[in-house]
Amino acid sequence: MRKYDYVVVGNSAAAINACDAIRSLDPDGSLALFGEEKRRCYSRPLISYLVMGTVDEKGMYYRPPDYYRRRKIDFHAGSKVEAVDPERRCLETSDGERYKWRRLLLATGFRPFMPPVEGLEEAMYLTFVSWDDARTMLRLTSRPLRSLVMGAGLIGMKAAEALHSRGCEVVVVERMDRVLPLALDETASEMVAARCRESGIEILTGRSVSRVAARGGYRGTAVLDDGAELDFDLLVVAVGVRPRTELAEVAGLRCEGGIVVDEHQRTSEPDVYAAGDAVVAYDLVRGEPTVNALWPVAALQGKYAGLNMAGKEAPYPGGNSMNAVEFFGLPVLSAGVVNPPDASYEVLIRRGEDGDYRKAVIRGDVLVGMLVAGKIERAGILTSLIQERANVRRIKGFLLEEGFGHIHFPRSMREERIVEAVAGLAKQEREARQERERRRR
Amino acid sequence: MKRIIPREEYCIGCRLCEIHCIVQHSKSRNIIKAFKKERRPAKRVEVEEHGHVSFALQCRHCEEAPCITACLSGAMQRDGVSGVVVHDSQRCVGCWTCILVCPYGAVRRDGEGKKVVGKCDLCPDLEVPACVANCPNEALVLVEE
Repeated sequence: MRKYDYVVVGNSAAAINACDAIRSLDPDGSLALFGEEKRRCYSRPLISYLVMGTVDEKGMYYRPPDYYRRRKIDFHAGSKVEAVDPERRCLETSDGERYKWRRLLLATGFRPFMPPVEGLEEAMYLTFVSWDDARTMLRLTSRPLRSLVMGAGLIGMKAAEALHSRGCEVVVVERMDRVLPLALDETASEMVAARCRESGIEILTGRSVSRVAARGGYRGTAVLDDGAELDFDLLVVAVGVRPRTELAEVAGLRCEGGIVVDEHQRTSEPDVYAAGDAVVAYDLVRGEPTVNALWPVAALQGKYAGLNMAGKEAPYPGGNSMNAVEFFGLPVLSAGVVNPPDASYEVLIRRGEDGDYRKAVIRGDVLVGMLVAGKIERAGILTSLIQERANVRRIKGFLLEEGFGHIHFPRSMREERIVEAVAGLAKQEREARQERERRRR
Repeated sequence: MKRIIPREEYCIGCRLCEIHCIVQHSKSRNIIKAFKKERRPAKRVEVEEHGHVSFALQCRHCEEAPCITACLSGAMQRDGVSGVVVHDSQRCVGCWTCILVCPYGAVRRDGEGKKVVGKCDLCPDLEVPACVANCPNEALVLVEE
């Protein structure tokens, strides 16, 4: 039985960033990666761009073609891991192959949530989460279709945008009272919905599909909760995602709404790590473990899992919800709490004459959330203040100003971030160089 | 690697750094053409100003660069040789995630038409980056370790 120093199960953001981190510390340890899909790692969030033609197939790949070879990764493409045994430190694939590992990472990602809608199981539909789904959508929409999208979350809205770009009629049905209810606040939701409606996408909020009747192929009829009937040629089901924890559960790892990890991305079993959309990990805004099924968060967790697997003491700094979207020319960025649950939060709002919109959410002098729509430049400064849990009492009045920046910080804070950070790095580099020279002598 | 440090006590807020940055990243690299005839690229350096204080700020080329980790497409990478955080506009899809996470506000939407971002590349074709070379009061200093 082949034994690896490191085995990574998964082939997306968390998995690849873990491999990069492992290789940054351990260039030669044996490393295997098991990917369920045959493809090299591609960027899942880009599938709507592929349908819209703004990215070509080559542009879908997250890393260059020779990535696995150059990183010395045994890439088991199209190999599904069926079981892992933490006790014996081995795993088994669907082909019956068995491998041993010294350290294991589970980056098993998410699965689409299937709502209990009558008739849905017999119907054909897309969940729009994979490259294959994008291909199917492209094939089916070679002529314009009547399409129905269940769910106005990120995946649903991206699917709607993609279908619209293919000349399809699009109806979006959302159970909540607005689009993108988690990523955006009410005002930004309305701004996005208005753009979509102007462009011809029909959005029905506060409504849900109660029954689906298949009519051959992808065609069918949906009956809404108010009795209205909608015929469609293509149905997209996008009502949410859930962590894929089957493998972890069967292996006996602790799971509570996702694989539970400690601050080093370790699961309840020794030398078994987990990262990405399958995981409940520390959220620095909520101050508790949370599933943040988002590409940047998965990448960050993967990176820290990899560092720890390779032997570095590297606690995960924590993630937070964050979203960057653009629909029909309106970009919106958000991070942290954008829908404060009660009056203990202070909300600042600024509307520009040209329709741009900015919001900051503060609790106890700490910035905990932000949203900008329209003029998005430099919003990352606000995100970083959220992540640093910085006290913003003295700069509150400037946060939403257009020219807001480090200039409004107290000088010591500004120098620390801009000048000393650079000087510190320069010092590190100088010392590293001196060390190299000393060794050479 | 090369790094640029701003000195606010010397900055006069003239924004010549922004002008010369735009020229250097324009198609022709000619100041008149860049501003009058061509699509103007985004500035990669920003003068922050409040009252009498000002300074210019561009990408810090962070050691733990949030933009690299967050990038959806893999367009934001660290150059293995120079250590510079480089952005491949061919692979950028304009999702704006880097703008969402950059602590310095140093990544901008690029004005050149295609939906991509632009950021400081430390002017790889120049010995001294354009913003530093054209600052009239040495308010931008190039340090090299």
